[in-house]
Amino acid sequence: MQTYSDLEYLKLSKWNKFLYKIASFFVSIPVAIKNGFLTIGRFFKNAAIDVKEEFRDIGSTFKNGDVNTRISFFVMGYGSIRRGQVLRGIMFLLMELVFIFYMVVSGGYWLSMLPSLGKTGPTTSYDAILDTYVPTYNDNSFKILLYGVLTLFFIIAFLYTWRLNVKQNKIAQEYLAKGKKLKSGKDDIRSLVDEQFYKTLLALPLTGILIFTVMPIVFMILVAFTNYDGAHDGYINNLFTWVGTTNFGQLLNWTSGSQNYSATFGEVLTWTLIWAFFATFTNYFLGMFVAMMINKKGIKFKKVWRTILVLTIAIPQFISLLYVSKMFAKNGILNGLLMDLGWITKALPFWEDPTWARITVIIINIWIGIPYLMLITTGILMNIPADLYESARIDGANPWQQYTKITLPYMLFITGPYLLTSFIGNMNNFNVIYLLTGGGPTNSAASTAAGSVGYTDLLVTWLFKITTGAEAQYYLASVVGIMVFVVAAVISLVVYGIMPSTKNEEDYQ
Amino acid sequence: MSTNNASMKKHMGLKASRVVSNTVIYVILIAMSVIWLIPFVCIVLQSFRVENTWQVGYILPKQWGWDNYAALLKTDFKVWYLNTFIMALVVSVLQTMIVLCMSYTLSRFRFKLRQPLMKLMLVLGMFPGMLTMIILYRVLKDLGMTQANAVPGLILVYIASSGMGYYVSKGFFDTISKSLDEAARVDGATRLQILFKIILPLSKPIVIYTILTAFMGPWGDFVFARYISFGTSAGMNVAVGLNGWLSLDQIDQRYTMFCAGGVIVAIPVAVLFMCLQKYYVEGVTGGAVKG
Amino acid sequence: MASVKLTNVKKVYDKDVVAVHDFNLDIKDKEFIVFVGPSGCGKSTTLRMVAGLEDISGGTVEIDGEVVNDLQPKDRGIAMVFQNYALYPHMSVYDNIAFSLRLQKMPEDEIYEKVTRAAEILGITEYLMRKPRALSGGQRQRVAIGRAMVRESKVFLMDEPLSNLDAKLRNQMRAEIILLRQRLQTTFIYVTHDQTEAMTLGDRIVIMKDGYIMQVGTPTEVFEMPKNLFVAEFIGAPKMNIMGTELLKENGEYYVTPFGAKIKVDGIKGAMLKEKNIAAGKITLGVRPEHMVLAEEGAANAIPVTLEVNEMMGSELHLHVLTEDGTKLILRIPTIDLDATLRTEMTNGKKLWVTFAGKVMHFFDAENETNVLVDQD
Repeated sequence: MQTYSDLEYLKLSKWNKFLYKIASFFVSIPVAIKNGFLTIGRFFKNAAIDVKEEFRDIGSTFKNGDVNTRISFFVMGYGSIRRGQVLRGIMFLLMELVFIFYMVVSGGYWLSMLPSLGKTGPTTSYDAILDTYVPTYNDNSFKILLYGVLTLFFIIAFLYTWRLNVKQNKIAQEYLAKGKKLKSGKDDIRSLVDEQFYKTLLALPLTGILIFTVMPIVFMILVAFTNYDGAHDGYINNLFTWVGTTNFGQLLNWTSGSQNYSATFGEVLTWTLIWAFFATFTNYFLGMFVAMMINKKGIKFKKVWRTILVLTIAIPQFISLLYVSKMFAKNGILNGLLMDLGWITKALPFWEDPTWARITVIIINIWIGIPYLMLITTGILMNIPADLYESARIDGANPWQQYTKITLPYMLFITGPYLLTSFIGNMNNFNVIYLLTGGGPTNSAASTAAGSVGYTDLLVTWLFKITTGAEAQYYLASVVGIMVFVVAAVISLVVYGIMPSTKNEEDYQ
Repeated sequence: MSTNNASMKKHMGLKASRVVSNTVIYVILIAMSVIWLIPFVCIVLQSFRVENTWQVGYILPKQWGWDNYAALLKTDFKVWYLNTFIMALVVSVLQTMIVLCMSYTLSRFRFKLRQPLMKLMLVLGMFPGMLTMIILYRVLKDLGMTQANAVPGLILVYIASSGMGYYVSKGFFDTISKSLDEAARVDGATRLQILFKIILPLSKPIVIYTILTAFMGPWGDFVFARYISFGTSAGMNVAVGLNGWLSLDQIDQRYTMFCAGGVIVAIPVAVLFMCLQKYYVEGVTGGAVKG
Repeated sequence: MASVKLTNVKKVYDKDVVAVHDFNLDIKDKEFIVFVGPSGCGKSTTLRMVAGLEDISGGTVEIDGEVVNDLQPKDRGIAMVFQNYALYPHMSVYDNIAFSLRLQKMPEDEIYEKVTRAAEILGITEYLMRKPRALSGGQRQRVAIGRAMVRESKVFLMDEPLSNLDAKLRNQMRAEIILLRQRLQTTFIYVTHDQTEAMTLGDRIVIMKDGYIMQVGTPTEVFEMPKNLFVAEFIGAPKMNIMGTELLKENGEYYVTPFGAKIKVDGIKGAMLKEKNIAAGKITLGVRPEHMVLAEEGAANAIPVTLEVNEMMGSELHLHVLTEDGTKLILRIPTIDLDATLRTEMTNGKKLWVTFAGKVMHFFDAENETNVLVDQD
């Protein structure tokens, strides 16, 4: 593609400027993707360098260390205790003891079983007294995977603590050599409400995220590489085991035969993206439009209009969505009303026909979304400096030109990141779809694969159906979940690379 | 005179066109208000319908009465309601604390892992939360916090990862000048004192916003609540419970009761929301701009 | 009451962005030091390192002989006034000033005593119950100063305290700071980008650029003997006229030849040139606008110029003139020196002749821009 300098660009005709912009946009997509990968690559490269540096530092600490330091390499906290930092030393020592105890008692077992996810499955033996076959449950694949992952986490935490212990020794040694005083246990505790207050504040939230988000996600990513499902539940029926990337092949291989997951996946993904696009942008523009109407000079009862619209936010979604879904039903109020009026003779198939259903969910989503967008855009619209409009009016701009030349660019710039989050959010908008249609109407062509998939099913509602369905194909759910992540991540990378408001966080402070 | 006339005309045209455009806007706004209000009006009207309990195609009940509300008391509705209310109370307190801790830290401290941490949370946010349900269910089940005991389990699920929703309040904290912190540090305050004596008193809107959204969460949650309380009425929240009444085999007996239940759930939440609307608006606006 | 000593102080951001290079300065007890320089020169960063609000990347900061690098701001015995005042918006003026004392757990009656006394000195007694947002800029500034005052600290730090005030108020507050300083008898470090503030307030001025100290000296020193071209141009308003010219040596006397004129370097500057035995050759010549005078038409030591803009300032005229090769010069002529006819003749496009005496010239090395008459270290 030809690139222009600023002055050359300014000389182009309006049409050519437009073409040039479009071309630049598409040219920038691969660049954005490439930059995304480069960033990731750089991250790993830097990480490798850091790791090397760490090892070098550990080595030099040992080499230059005194006796206390060297013993601390094996008995954690020894150096700290000897140098008078008793509290720190005891914490280190405690960590080491707990770690050794855990690894001996159970960690070792979980770790050793992790490669196989269990050796002996449930067996049955004849019980003479009860005169029946009694099952004996042996290894539990689920627990092995779970505790295996936890043990790995714990080992990482231990290695980190050990490293900290080594670093502490080095610092303490240097301090003492310079004749400075070390911090006492009291100082340590005091600093936890001052310089290091962030550690105190983050401890609880991060523990929660680690246990309830990070750990489950790691676990579920691993599940995608197993055959964990209802039949292989890992304990009562059958063990489950590693199957490599088979599951991904099943979902992505378009030519695979009998169980055509790939076709279903393609359909659901397409609808998910269409839905996310319309749900995001219809709400955005209509919300902005409503906000501008209400804000217009000379319109009265502004507060009343806003309050009425905001009702949909105030009332829990499940009530409004479930109720509205029933209003649109075959025997619902809407059809009843239209028939009473004599406008139709047969009930409209809002939920029965695929296309009707898809359009209806988008429209009802507008009903849900406009108030929210109206609130957001009202705030931003009021922040647009009034003199911009005044000078535009003096320059002779009509209302439409004022909108396209001032309001819209300003809004898009400010809300760019919000639009992205909102798009991703809509991709995962479980509530609206599930409560309105439950995914229906059923897509009979796709329904053979993994639960009954419907025409309005998003990837997330499909995922939900897979896990709650009769076969409970958890592995498939995991693969779908990973795919959702991949799609979201690629979109984010591209958009972040292109967005004008790729901002420096500190600029806003 | 002719020029004068022309300018008069132009002047009149401006005024007239404003009247026309305002009228159009009023018509649109009134129509919208009707559309927005109809479902809520309908649900209230139907909750008073006593001639039958199934879904009908007309709006005004033929026979009015409190029967549906009375019938609610004989069901598990009060259990669900209490469950949800307890969860909402506990979650609003704990979640607010966690979110504020998180956002204050990320707004005010500059530590080595800050950027990686924020990026990590961004990445984690792209995984569908539903994915974690399967394992959380199994873990909670081992801890005895599912089915009938779903309330503590659900509370744990709601608050545990709430730190990831730090964005809006961090955006608010970012707008409080850092030189206030610095002045306080020079004045001799520790970070703990700065948080309680300077930042929090200045953050009333965002604290209320956080409490409000946290309080409303459990009333609307459907997915986790259904999963964790699966199959046991005693552990359900209102959303799961009432949704059950709309299933194919129950809807004909319980449709009007669903409406009555919906009204009872909606009124306190909506009233609370409307009272604190001002703070909510400040929150969402700030959050989106910070985006 | 304390001395402050900065030794090889450095500030590095993100591993490679150096904000302050190797800053060395001894501040004596009760001295009023002003850091001045254009924005981004590192003056505020240096102040904040003294305050403990920025980590010190290298070197040491000592207050009263004690190294304070690792101390928290509150433990350094400092008080600070911020550019945007940083008043706590939710507290009354009284509570703002009392905040630090309450944190020290001082008894309330003692606090009352101190706060009211400070308020009285600053003339804000009647506003004690107000919130900061109900105060004007000048009043907020006083509250900020009051808050710093009651801490009775060893060192008083001020970070551009007047830059948010309008010009008139700024002059007034400047005078008040001088009075405050006489009353408090403590060490001051004051940061500003305004050379007038620096000149009027400082016992010594530290002029900085790009993280380096350009010159440290009393106002007279930096004005009369700027160490380099940057200082020469930064101090004094309007700024010094700079002319690239030739330094000639004829019969033991020095001459400069700006724009075709030939002006003898006489007086003290001539003597200094001789003493240092400066070689003839290319030189950058600096003359302050107030030292340029109008000359007879066609005089040998006069430069022909064209008047471009005439600014009547009241007590003086600022004449913006163009030399024949297009260089801009500025003259400050006291109004009293011009009779009424001459004043009315000062219209744009008028031809003028300007000259200056030898003793007011400043000579800078054409290559490295240092003042050839000042010993560099």
